[in-house]
Amino acid sequence: MPTYETLFITPPTLSDEDERSTVEGLAAIVTDGGGSFTVNERMGRRRLAYAIRKFDDGVYTRFLYDAGVDVPKELERRIRLSDNVLRSLTVRLEEDWAAASKIQAVKDAERRAEQEAEAARLAEEEAARAAEAAAAAPEPTEEATETAPAEAASEATTESAPEPAATETPDADAGEAAEAKKEGE
Amino acid sequence: MAMRRGGRGGGFGRRRFLFRRRKYCKFCEAKTQWIDHKDMKTLQNYIPERAKILPRRISGNCAKHQRDLMRAIKRARSIALLPFTSD
Repeated sequence: MPTYETLFITPPTLSDEDERSTVEGLAAIVTDGGGSFTVNERMGRRRLAYAIRKFDDGVYTRFLYDAGVDVPKELERRIRLSDNVLRSLTVRLEEDWAAASKIQAVKDAERRAEQEAEAARLAEEEAARAAEAAAAAPEPTEEATETAPAEAASEATTESAPEPAATETPDADAGEAAEAKKEGE
Repeated sequence: MAMRRGGRGGGFGRRRFLFRRRKYCKFCEAKTQWIDHKDMKTLQNYIPERAKILPRRISGNCAKHQRDLMRAIKRARSIALLPFTSD
């Protein structure tokens, strides 16, 4: 079975629910027609290069699927009838391109899963830290010790700042003095 | 222009004035087999200000890759990833 890729744009004003039902409806055409999905991805909202039906933005969705020749035909027909799709593009991918796209898709999915796991782990850590902080908060002494070094640091910086300025001014004076001398000569 | 007059001696034309870097097909260099219409990073390089497709005589692309590139750009235009014109 050949591999197809369909990209389509839905209006940004569509509610999440409408968008989901539109995408699911189109996805169902593929699966009902005996096709199998590799990718059903919401590429997200992005700026259109030119306005379509007065929309400057659009939500891109990407299907990558193996299916018989009738499936993309039907899909395009339905897209044309749908008011919720601004524009679409179906491309039949050549074999090696299709294979590469699939491999890439698997990689993307893995990376996304990893990122999600990482995000979940971070969120967990954050929650744990928050819980710890909440447990430690009742003691006022800790807060005092925390603020003290910060103040000391800020004092240190203000002290050090005038020094270079002080060293600069004598130089400038000397320069002026030298000039004055020259003028005198 | 540093056009020297009366330059005889072989039809080396422009080679005498300035050394020009030889153009080559970047896609061949990278052994590209297909050009993806979603790959904005690559396509952007071939659409100058007016959003026209950069001609082969400037980019130095080979015929095959220029054709692939043209197809990719036209596809990208049809789904509003690239503009037809910029005003």
